[in-house]
Amino acid sequence: MSYSVVGHSLPRVDAREKVSGNALYTGDMVLPHMLVGKVLRSPYAHAKVINIDTSKAKKLPGVKVVLTYEDTPKILWNSAGFPPSPGAILVEDQYILTNKARYVGDGIAAVAAVDEETAIQALELIEVEYEVLPALMNVERAMAEGAVLIHEAEKNIYGHTPVVIGDVDTGFADADFVFEDTYYVPKVNQVSLEPCGVSMAAPDIDGRVTIWTSTQMPHLVRSITAHALGLKTGQVRIIKPTVGGAFGSRLGVVNEPIAALLAMKVGKPVMLKYTREEAFLATESRHPMTMIIKTGVKKDGTFTARQLTSYIDGGAYATHTPSFAGPVAGWFLAMYKSPNIKVDNYSVYTNATQCGAFRGYGNPQVVFAVESQMDDIAIKLGMDPLELRLKNHPCAGEVWMWSGWVIDSCGFEECIASGAKAIKWTEKRNNGAKGRSSQGAKKRGIGMGYMMHVSGARPMLHETSAAMIKINEDGTANLIYSNSDCGQGAGTSLSQIAAEELGIPFTDVIITKTADTDVAGFDIGSHASRQTYSGGNAVKHAAAMAKQKLLEMAAEILETPVEELVVKDGRVWVRNDSPEEPSKSMSIAEVSHSAHFGSHGHQIFGAVSEEPPGNPPVYAAQFVEVEVDTDTGIIEVLRVVAAHDVGTAINPAVVEGQIEGAIQQGMGYALTEEYRYDQESGMPLNPNLSDYKILTSVDMPQIDTILVQATCPTGPFGAKSVGESGLVATAAAIANAVYDAIGIRFKELPITPERVLIALQNRDQKE
Amino acid sequence: MPISLQINGETYEVNVPIKKTLLDVLRDDLALTGTKKGCDSGECGACTVLMDGKPVNSCIILAVDAVGKQISTIEGIGGIMELHPIQEALVAHGAIQCGYCTPGIVMSAKALLDSNPHPTESEVREGITGNLCRCTGYVKVVEAIMDVSRR
Repeated sequence: MSYSVVGHSLPRVDAREKVSGNALYTGDMVLPHMLVGKVLRSPYAHAKVINIDTSKAKKLPGVKVVLTYEDTPKILWNSAGFPPSPGAILVEDQYILTNKARYVGDGIAAVAAVDEETAIQALELIEVEYEVLPALMNVERAMAEGAVLIHEAEKNIYGHTPVVIGDVDTGFADADFVFEDTYYVPKVNQVSLEPCGVSMAAPDIDGRVTIWTSTQMPHLVRSITAHALGLKTGQVRIIKPTVGGAFGSRLGVVNEPIAALLAMKVGKPVMLKYTREEAFLATESRHPMTMIIKTGVKKDGTFTARQLTSYIDGGAYATHTPSFAGPVAGWFLAMYKSPNIKVDNYSVYTNATQCGAFRGYGNPQVVFAVESQMDDIAIKLGMDPLELRLKNHPCAGEVWMWSGWVIDSCGFEECIASGAKAIKWTEKRNNGAKGRSSQGAKKRGIGMGYMMHVSGARPMLHETSAAMIKINEDGTANLIYSNSDCGQGAGTSLSQIAAEELGIPFTDVIITKTADTDVAGFDIGSHASRQTYSGGNAVKHAAAMAKQKLLEMAAEILETPVEELVVKDGRVWVRNDSPEEPSKSMSIAEVSHSAHFGSHGHQIFGAVSEEPPGNPPVYAAQFVEVEVDTDTGIIEVLRVVAAHDVGTAINPAVVEGQIEGAIQQGMGYALTEEYRYDQESGMPLNPNLSDYKILTSVDMPQIDTILVQATCPTGPFGAKSVGESGLVATAAAIANAVYDAIGIRFKELPITPERVLIALQNRDQKE
Repeated sequence: MPISLQINGETYEVNVPIKKTLLDVLRDDLALTGTKKGCDSGECGACTVLMDGKPVNSCIILAVDAVGKQISTIEGIGGIMELHPIQEALVAHGAIQCGYCTPGIVMSAKALLDSNPHPTESEVREGITGNLCRCTGYVKVVEAIMDVSRR
């Protein structure tokens, strides 16, 4: 199906203002009499505040307010941005400022002063006496007998979500082979280029507070912030300006309650901007997980039982973690079919910074483990790994266990076929040999990983999207949407959907780039890869409603039955007219002008608030070729082929951009990224971009994206999703390629040169 | 201390503390907020400006050390009415996502193409290696700069 606006790589709606430096991010803003906020952070990973003396800080000229735990509302809250829903398990365990530090960087006090220098000086003048407690930096220590409690949760375990299908014991007994492996994935940070944690709060005279914040979800940040402050939801107004990347880090409240509390106590606007170090220290990142995977398999590659037991290191506060355990189970359940499946996920408190959302939401963790083991199984069975995957993945017409709903479109076989062809799978694969050919110490290998992901959060979460279309008197259209675009291009794709449905040029749609909870309808934000599918459906329906009204108006003017009229290229036409010699036609501008100023006197609107009709899964197969230098341990990724079923690509360049950028994050997960703590003191070891390595332009290989467009009947113009899926399978594909190159299975990320060298030495000693 | 800075061809008289960085003066004193702060320690390149034509991290240069130099920022490269060819290429190739690294990349690319108008792809990758981007994987950024270099 060809469309006039959808399916075209049009320039993004916000590209020109960004490339010229004109786009305003929260941290670029200034309000009259604005103060600067700063947070005093605990130097200890686990400590009670015995005494705190702020008197010297308060006396410092230029300091306007100093707040501690004593000044905070005694209301427990949870930062995770979820609407109240069956799958949202919201353990409320934090205050805006604490009197018991649970990680290095926990907020003990906050100040607002006339400038940054004064605010920093004030922090230095606050005297705190701590009683230091043992720091529990990993799940083993936290769950150990007699371990000190971080909160009131037995053994520091605060969530256990068992899922049982069939009987795994019977399944394992029926198997020809049983595989059991333990995998570990580390904590990694989203590293949006705009550091996470920037908000500016301004109180007003009527007791409301307006917060400009770099967020993924204006409406849910509004309700959580209001709750934490003891306000009504309507007393908080959230405005989302341009956002400098998010990737999950802004999926919920970050520092909005602190900024708002400071502003409301002092009666002036307060800007609270975290430094890069604070973004590492005090904002949520990806969960480290220990995963034990057990799989029973017949000689022909049929699975008899699959089992996952995982220990999720949630860090110091619950935030997302107990809810997150649900999707983690879902990713595992849904990848491969088996009559017997069991999942036990344990959410564990530790004294690390709390973990939350990061692109993929548990799926990269699970897929790394499952897909690593899948290759081992294929090798043991003497099967092509592609065949093993094709034999066991769920297809269209079958129930997808993540949602419990029937899959309506599946492009996985095409992903496999096109990706394998592009990477030259059959020619290049070593089949687990210890490195083919190659030049001396450098061994080459290829590998792949498969994944499925969501296009939204249903049925786990209630998933409201709202859109409103106003047709202006000149025929242009305003699209009012709680546009939570953080840079991914959702605003552009939604504008294309509106233009296509309305039948007007793309440039005639003007979307609200800034989201404002006082203006736009309730929307649960930008996460779960949901903007195009869920938001896109709402936009399409609002546009269709406006279009219908336009046609009705035109029918009156043209004296033609409405069902005979169509809109195309900004004009209303009679359906079966010859394009060369139309009997009658009029422009949208003329129709709208007539609506405004003719006999009716109204503007044409279309507005909806709705849940999306489903949650279609997307599929991907990523293939990589690596070269392992057995002298240095360095792994070079030579090429990535990413074949993704996204449904209709509303804007192919935007879709490719999502995949290409995600692969940079997935490669970092595989090879370089790990946010580390001293295991005794709990002190972070690399909260900066020199020691926490994300990949640069010279580190990135050739990336070939292949878009497989298995259109979805319920998606807007057939679209599904792409926001998160690009990194989900990357680490698994790299680990499998490394195995193909050197015959060593790495079950822990990242696969650093040190780990490669040690593994090579260990193997050589054995041989 | 009172200093005079040459920025985008104009002279600015500012009174700044001696330890204030060029980045903070640009953003806080002169409202030139197109130059971004991503790390404040010379690691990410979001604050890249040109000093006498060479790309520098303005977060690790004191404003007082910029006296007597010609400083170019993103605001001096192209306005919203007329973008520089590098900017047009980045827009056309879909190379801009969150946009936070973009001004710095434009500056690095300009410095590269001013001194080497027809770089190889690996020279382009070297030229922007100091500019971290978390959105694009650099694919379309490199394509865009190569496209300009071929014109």
